Amino acid sequence: MPRLIERLIERIPLPFRVLHRQFLLRVVDLEALSIEADVPRFLGQFAGILIMISCMRAIGTLFFPPPPSMAWATEESALANMLLVVGLIAVVTWDATFPDRRDVLALGHLPVRPRTILLAKVSATAALLGLAMGTLNFASGCSWALVLGGGSLIRSARFFASFWCTIVAATIFLYGAVLTLQGVAALVLPRRLFLKFSAATQLAAFALFMATYFLEPTLSGTGEFADPANHALLVGSPVYWFAALLNQLNGTLPSEESWLAARAWIGLGIALAGASASLTLCYVRTMKKTVEEPDLVPGAAGFHWSPRLGGSLRTAILYFSGRSLLRSRQHRVILAFYWSLALAIALSCLRGEMATPGTISTDFLTSSFVIMAIAVFGLRNVCALPISLNANWVLRVTQLRAPERYFAGTRSLLLLAGVLPAWLVAVLLGVRLRPPAQVAAHLGILLVVGAILVEVALLKFEKVPFTCSYLPGKANVQVVFWGAIFVISMLAITAALYEQKVLYDLQHDIAMFAALVAVEMVLWTVNRKRARSAELYFEEVAPEVITTLGLADGMRYASRAEE
Amino acid sequence: MLELRRVSKHYASIPAVDDVSFCARAGEVTGYLGPNGSGKSTTMKMITGLIERTAGAISFNGKPIQDDLIAYKRRLGYVPEEPNLYNHLSAVEYLTMVSQLRDLPAWESSQRIDGMLRIFGLHGDRHASISGYSKGMRQKVLLIAALLHNPDLILLDEPFSGLDVGSALVLRSLIQELAARGKVVLFSSHELDTVERVCSRVVILHHGKIVADDSIERLRSLMELPTLEAIFSQLAVEQDTESMARAIADLIHA
Repeated sequence: MPRLIERLIERIPLPFRVLHRQFLLRVVDLEALSIEADVPRFLGQFAGILIMISCMRAIGTLFFPPPPSMAWATEESALANMLLVVGLIAVVTWDATFPDRRDVLALGHLPVRPRTILLAKVSATAALLGLAMGTLNFASGCSWALVLGGGSLIRSARFFASFWCTIVAATIFLYGAVLTLQGVAALVLPRRLFLKFSAATQLAAFALFMATYFLEPTLSGTGEFADPANHALLVGSPVYWFAALLNQLNGTLPSEESWLAARAWIGLGIALAGASASLTLCYVRTMKKTVEEPDLVPGAAGFHWSPRLGGSLRTAILYFSGRSLLRSRQHRVILAFYWSLALAIALSCLRGEMATPGTISTDFLTSSFVIMAIAVFGLRNVCALPISLNANWVLRVTQLRAPERYFAGTRSLLLLAGVLPAWLVAVLLGVRLRPPAQVAAHLGILLVVGAILVEVALLKFEKVPFTCSYLPGKANVQVVFWGAIFVISMLAITAALYEQKVLYDLQHDIAMFAALVAVEMVLWTVNRKRARSAELYFEEVAPEVITTLGLADGMRYASRAEE
Repeated sequence: MLELRRVSKHYASIPAVDDVSFCARAGEVTGYLGPNGSGKSTTMKMITGLIERTAGAISFNGKPIQDDLIAYKRRLGYVPEEPNLYNHLSAVEYLTMVSQLRDLPAWESSQRIDGMLRIFGLHGDRHASISGYSKGMRQKVLLIAALLHNPDLILLDEPFSGLDVGSALVLRSLIQELAARGKVVLFSSHELDTVERVCSRVVILHHGKIVADDSIERLRSLMELPTLEAIFSQLAVEQDTESMARAIADLIHA
């Protein structure tokens, strides 16, 4: 068997194999995920998380089998999870399938056909999607087949086959839809406009996938499907289409719902055709356009006004950080991830209150705390990602002020780009709530909480934003992150429950406010003292160490032995 | 005067710069030469304070630089070997940031930036992203950033890299002009022709050690060689260049 596989692989043209391997290593933006070029490690971590989710769901299904009435809901949940993972992969690998300038310049002069490049890129992306599909569903798919098959081997086998066909179809649909959208934009828009459009669409897609996942209700079968109130939801959401497709393939779809399955087929056809056509056209047309694109793009004409934002160092840090956030796609995407997560959690908390405005609830209080915490810590994490390590020498050569002045600049950034937007979102969410005095009191408390979180975020942040590197192998996506989200949520709920009790009691409210201000002042003083003796650092890896293999010594011993 | 006394830099146990001592005086252009990997850029980085030295002392105007590193950095202008800049900024944004980091008065620095961008021919592209700049344009941005604050000590590591002929001639004259105005200029380059025209004295480094430190005229007369290139070849080039070239040609023909 291994020989047969080897032979089959050898029959694949060598340029395709080489390019497939290269593109697979590049399909994920490494710096965005901070894995320090260790792709197998990242893929291992990614697969590990998905396997864990799959196993947990499988165990849950086996020990607590869902009743037949909940079968639809279980299937929808599996499909929603899969579509979210595919959506996140689509965002992370946003441009990876399309020809970029680097490919064109590096491969353009070599005897490699555009077709080979296209196929290698598609196969690299397909490999990543395949890995995600397999690991997320291998255990849960088996367990559902056993449980939902109702004890019959044939029914289980049919469910198993239907499930996997649907998963593959849903994956191709969503990834194909994203490719179609980008491909059409690349063909229609001028190159420069397309790059801007692509960057904006990436963020929009991210927000859409997250919001859909967290906000979409689970409909558990025919009864709810027939409700006219849900019709618009069914028409617009692919999760329901593919749940219907799964049941159609499994032979369990009521005839009145077959229109949903039809939508899945139509959507799949359009996405597949659109992606194939637009990708092919892009490789035929856009590759030439990419080469002809001028190196030097003139800057925006017109009025360039950059007012001072405090002292010169603070102004330099704030402008540098703002420009890094606005112009670096990696940083924008990661920040969008945190904001999507924060808003999704907040909106899912407030789902019930959105329709009917009323009094201040713990849901509103919790969601505003969660938004504030994720906005501050998310921004802090994004600030820790370097924009260009090689260019940091200029900050070191020009380090003429005490580190505390740099920390003050970073603090201003966290307050302006973390606390302020989160607070404004809370204002928007709370504007319809009553009584206004209590809403205002909460917003005041929220502001102080934001300032406290900023000081906590600064406790171990002895660097200029966007300049420092991670330690090798230190990932942004890891268990600690999800642990932190859990802890933040728990703390937010606890704080909200406490605030709910004291919010209507002026004396207690003032006492709580004063206590929070005191905590803020203490943390501010601690940070200020620490900053005075701290040293700014630009590399988390100790520099100037070369690991030698001791070959020189070996040579010496060998020559002595010869003598 | 910039003075290095017995300065060494070791990576693990491998010496990159070994027991280097020399002086660069105000009003002179000192050439710092050596083959690739001889330790020139490492020395430059030690002088800027970017990397720590393993041993030895560096002083400027008689004061050890680490005594008041901030005051020293205020007087230092540095053009690094590689044109590493923040590519997401435009030239104006980058230079403004450098002037703010150096705490220069806003109006004055804006005038200087504008003027130098015009002289170096970058004014038309000043709002374009640096990512699109050619190597020569980046080099010009680095030069402007190094000179913005009118430094007393100017370290130029391969400053002619990527510059067009016109800009290279301007820079050559500028280096001489700055030295004539009393600046200490330490200048590293592989373009020996330029070094011979610009520098009053040269320090030649080989395998991390100084093999020559004198004025070009004295080296010529001492070694009885006509050009700096010949002196450099004798002191720092070990290979037989012609036989190497022949071996490469033979290899690609085989």
